[in-house]
Amino acid sequence: MFKLNLKIALRNLKRNFVISMINIGGLSIALAAFILIVLYVNYETSYDKHNPNYENIYIVGRDLKDFKTNFTPPPLAEIIEQNCPEVALVGKMTPSNLEFPLISDAGRIYIKNTMVMNFNAAKIFDLHPQGGLKQPQGEIERLYYLNEASMRTLFPNKKDSMPELVLMGGKTLGLTAPIQGKIVPNPHSNLQFDGVAIGNNLGVAEGFGFPNYYTYIQVKPGTDIKALEAKIDRLMKAGMIKEKIDMGSLKNERVFLDPLANLHLKPQAGNDTNYKVVMALFILSMLIVVIACINFTNLTIAQANKRAKEVGIKKVLGSYRQLLTMQFITEILIQCVLSMLLALMLAELFMPTFNNLFEVPLSLAAGAEELYWMLPLILLIVTFIAGVYPALILSGFKPALVLKGNFEAGLQTSWIRKGLLVVQFSIAVIFIAGILIVNRQVEYLHTEDTGFEANQVLVIKNQMMYNKPEVFATFRDKVMKINGVKSATVANVVPGGEQTGSNGYTVEGREALLDFIDVDYDYFETLGIKLKSGRTFSKEFKSDTLNAAIINETAAAKYGLLDPVGKTIRGCNIDYKIIGVIKDFKSQGFEAAVQPTIYAMKNPCGNPRLSIMLKVDAAQMSAVLAALKAQWSGINRLDGEDFRYDFLDDLYGRLFKKQEQLKAVFFTASMLTVFIAVLGLFAFAKIMTSNRRKEIAVRKVLGASDFQVLKLLNSSFLWMLLIANVLAWPLVYLLARTWLDTFAYRVELSVVPFALAGVISLLLAVITVSLQATKAVQANPAAVLKHE
Amino acid sequence: MITLSNIEKYYSNKGIKNYVLRHVTTQIHPGEFVSIMGPSGAGKSTLLNVLGMLEQPTYGKYEFMGEDVSLLKESKRIELYRHHIGFVFQAYHLIDEMTVAENIEAPLLYKKVGGAERKSRVADILDRFNIVAKKDLFPNQLSGGQQQLVGIARALVAQPSIILADEPTGNLQSTQALQIMDLFKKLNQEEGITIIQVTHSEVNATYGSRILHLLDGVIKEDEAVLT
Ligand SMILES: Nc1ncnc2c1ncn2[C@@H]1O[C@H](COP(=O)(O)OP(=O)(O)O)[C@@H](O)[C@H]1O
Ligand SMILES: [Mg+2]
Repeated sequence: MFKLNLKIALRNLKRNFVISMINIGGLSIALAAFILIVLYVNYETSYDKHNPNYENIYIVGRDLKDFKTNFTPPPLAEIIEQNCPEVALVGKMTPSNLEFPLISDAGRIYIKNTMVMNFNAAKIFDLHPQGGLKQPQGEIERLYYLNEASMRTLFPNKKDSMPELVLMGGKTLGLTAPIQGKIVPNPHSNLQFDGVAIGNNLGVAEGFGFPNYYTYIQVKPGTDIKALEAKIDRLMKAGMIKEKIDMGSLKNERVFLDPLANLHLKPQAGNDTNYKVVMALFILSMLIVVIACINFTNLTIAQANKRAKEVGIKKVLGSYRQLLTMQFITEILIQCVLSMLLALMLAELFMPTFNNLFEVPLSLAAGAEELYWMLPLILLIVTFIAGVYPALILSGFKPALVLKGNFEAGLQTSWIRKGLLVVQFSIAVIFIAGILIVNRQVEYLHTEDTGFEANQVLVIKNQMMYNKPEVFATFRDKVMKINGVKSATVANVVPGGEQTGSNGYTVEGREALLDFIDVDYDYFETLGIKLKSGRTFSKEFKSDTLNAAIINETAAAKYGLLDPVGKTIRGCNIDYKIIGVIKDFKSQGFEAAVQPTIYAMKNPCGNPRLSIMLKVDAAQMSAVLAALKAQWSGINRLDGEDFRYDFLDDLYGRLFKKQEQLKAVFFTASMLTVFIAVLGLFAFAKIMTSNRRKEIAVRKVLGASDFQVLKLLNSSFLWMLLIANVLAWPLVYLLARTWLDTFAYRVELSVVPFALAGVISLLLAVITVSLQATKAVQANPAAVLKHE
Repeated sequence: MITLSNIEKYYSNKGIKNYVLRHVTTQIHPGEFVSIMGPSGAGKSTLLNVLGMLEQPTYGKYEFMGEDVSLLKESKRIELYRHHIGFVFQAYHLIDEMTVAENIEAPLLYKKVGGAERKSRVADILDRFNIVAKKDLFPNQLSGGQQQLVGIARALVAQPSIILADEPTGNLQSTQALQIMDLFKKLNQEEGITIIQVTHSEVNATYGSRILHLLDGVIKEDEAVLT
């Protein structure tokens, strides 16, 4: 029996080849997208999961009311160690963003991202450097390890595992350090680095006033995290009170423990946009599968006429209904299995493109473990969704009705099919309107005024600290001699997503937390930032290098100052005089609102000024670059031999990368969805018109024109389309609002994308239906009627 | 074998009852060959469907082999289909996706006849109907007469005690029609299979032993065929 049914199934596939292919093809495209996205979601949500203590690792963060940070002072680790027996390991680490060269006989590298960590931190993150994790000796020893690429450049012929000496920070400096060997950071970990330095303890000389370290703890299984959080909070406050730090703001401060599992997508000290994006993607992929399932259901039911007779006959031959239900479900399962196989092939085919776009190392083989149980499950679910309903409809046909002839299976089920088609259209409309809105916002990001000019600004990575204006002056003098350099400045950060520090500042007795940016002369001129009132830093005022400050509009608003120029702002034990107010500019992109910020040339609490920025005349850019390259060691002797630079607009552009990715994915997903929906409509129209061939012929014999018949065939679809649009629009509005709200700066929603989505969906439907209908309309009615 | 007492059937349309069968009372004994005749729309097919338990009468009592059909459970009815009733249709109603041999084999599968016996019974009947050469063809590769032969072979292969045939020759040329009628007569006389057929043709009706004349759902005449 099974064999016979299988044969029937295959013969049916062959007979209705086009429809079957649309069915299987549509489903497999959707499943392929789903597989890719499941792999991706799985990858994104399982950072560090390979760590054996994944569940027990937390980062200690601080909630400072205005914002949250994971930076903690170094003594915190010791007091946790001494007072919390429920904590198994306490690690601390600090990123060293100082970029400096390492030189061996064979070559040189620039190391950017070194993680300086204590031995316990390396244990918590389960690091396995070459030769195994070794305990450093005493207080001072640091064990250095470098990533594979660096090791290959520096020691191409190295076979043994003995430490090697390298020159550090330029040949002229003459510093050396031993490199223990290589370390391979797991790309699937929150902890990324080019190299690590492992010591027994860090920041011994720094107290509670130096929140520059990450503190990680590994708790013993079963620890009450809430209680531990409160305990660490008390310890932290006690430590700060003892050192008499920031007494005033203490009561607003709170320690939190953020589990390792949260750090990649939704860290407390950060935002959960990434998490939302990943989840949105997941939902998108499910929608695509749902659309494909609807297609499947609809097409199967629409073809029911062809199967009705079989059902009737089998019933009078003595078949139970369950038997027939099983037969149809099996048939659909076979199609789903075929779709799944095809989907796996498609997924494999598009994996490299996908990986490229998202910068992930996904593969079917690596994800096999999850897919192993997931794919059969999906297969069953899809078969169930797509198959059970049609199977019940088909197996439910009454033989007396079916076998009498002129039977229309469509009539009993048409409202459900229409409903499903409406759902499908709605989803398609959501995607079309979605594309239009996403496009407009991304366009806006590219064209909207950022408040500063990133064009023709060179950012020079430099390892020389220019914290003092008089030191930088010599550099500036040399560089300004090059034809085409318009201005030169140095700062602790460049606009492009780099985080600066923040501190409490007081104006007229009101304290507020401001971001501080440490700058030099010509900072605002180089970046083309506009002044609102007052003036910028000038060499004509000697005191500018001592106690002058410039604030932005947001900062002025934060203090409620109408006329800030001339007022005093106190912070870091200095009474600054506000000399100017600048217009806000979007240094952090469009997602974050502009922060209240203070700019000063002197800031004892600040960060090293390493980022040199030069404004260059566009026409002379290449000449300037060549000159800088040639004269670099003369201009900036302490930076070493190499001139390394970026264009500011490239750096700033990276802030939009995520949005670009999202746009690409959304675009592809939308195209797929719309494509599948159109496929469904195409097949549906094909079946509908073939079912109505006789009616069309009769109408033509009665004198209907081709156009009238076409209109008739289209009109039923157009009604559904209209309803679908009306249903989709509010949903689009809600979704678009939610997404746009993740931007501090965004376009306004207008009716245009909605109307346009309506028109596009209408055109697609009319074209698809008419393509099918014209064939039926042009058929010779005599021929059609003779065959009936 | 079959007892119909006061069978009534109507379809309601906007509250108006359209009677299709009225006061139908009759008996059919094993071994009879009954032809139902009447103009189009008289209710012949409906009567046959009632007899085949494909439709329920609105009123009246129908006993099949001594059992009240209205009290039959679904599973019992399907058992009757498997073992006692064979259907033959005007439009043949072969399953298009199955070959001739597969179509004939199908009822045996439902009857759970073993594989070897199935093969031999199908081979037997193909042989008897002279369609061995056609066994691997699909229905649309056969002429109407051949298709109806296959339809009858399918009805017979399960060795039913009664065959219900709704205008079995309605779509056939007269020579093919007479062949089928000869076959029915032979089955009836040699194997004792009860046959009830609907027909428009006086000639076909004379092959049977009894004719029921139906007009507007009422049996107007119940005549025996003289041989
Ligand atoms: N499902 C139905 N609903 C309403 N009327 C029906 C239905 N089936 C049959 N009829 C009506 O019952 C009458 C008898 O039909 P039928 O038994 O097929 O006639 P015959 O086979 O004698 O030509 C016809 O008038 C037909 O219109
Ligand atoms: Mg009839």
